[in-house]
Amino acid sequence: MFALLEDAGFNRVRSTVVPGFAFRKESTRDAAEAYGVKAVLFTAQKHAR
Amino acid sequence: MTESVVLPAEQQAPLEGVITGEVVRMYQEVAEHPEGEFHFYHGRQAAELFGYERDWLDRAPPGAVASFAGVGNPHLRSRLQPGETVLDLGSGAGLDGIIAAWQVGPLGRVIGLDLNPTMCRKAEAHAAASGVRIACHEGRMEDIPLPDGSVDVVISNGVINLSFRKRRVIHELFRVLKPGGRVSITDIVSAKQLSQSIVNDPKLWAS
Repeated sequence: MFALLEDAGFNRVRSTVVPGFAFRKESTRDAAEAYGVKAVLFTAQKHAR
Repeated sequence: MTESVVLPAEQQAPLEGVITGEVVRMYQEVAEHPEGEFHFYHGRQAAELFGYERDWLDRAPPGAVASFAGVGNPHLRSRLQPGETVLDLGSGAGLDGIIAAWQVGPLGRVIGLDLNPTMCRKAEAHAAASGVRIACHEGRMEDIPLPDGSVDVVISNGVINLSFRKRRVIHELFRVLKPGGRVSITDIVSAKQLSQSIVNDPKLWAS
């Protein structure tokens, strides 16, 4: 997502991992862990003209 | 989930249709039966975990809070100002849009976008019950039905990861934002490319 925002032309792209995010079901949680799944807060700005 | 999925065109279109249907079904299920069990935490428990202010959750209609299915808190960094126009991408039952409407005040505007017209009507009703207005459009995040440069801020919560065409979605956000406009998005990303079995499973993709 970070790269997609930059590629689209956004400036000041920032990301922060959301603490505490987890899937509720254990099976999904295990799969998510294996794939390095996390929730992230992204902010970015479109250049001012 | 980090990049767009690349499948042969003859496979992608039907799969995208099935997944879209599953996404609509699952999030409507959360809204209509919030007491149910899902892959993800939802409702007040999830919102409190992500740092939503208790005052917001006490003031918002119980139905909007119970149906909350976000993955974080886009309001932490949205810096909304009175009078701004906000697009809530994937507005669901309306909790994030209502919070945004409180922040931009009566001179501001909140526009919702959701695939599901039933959810749009629900978000508008919840907003009205909160004393604010959300104008919700039924539509796809890959083709946002708004003019170029018409929005100050886009917020979104756990929605873009559901798209097969994330690059297209991000370009649409850029297009609808005014110069100097900004995004505050919480979403799910993965460090590794998802296996084809996950990509091909609409229930897993939708969750």
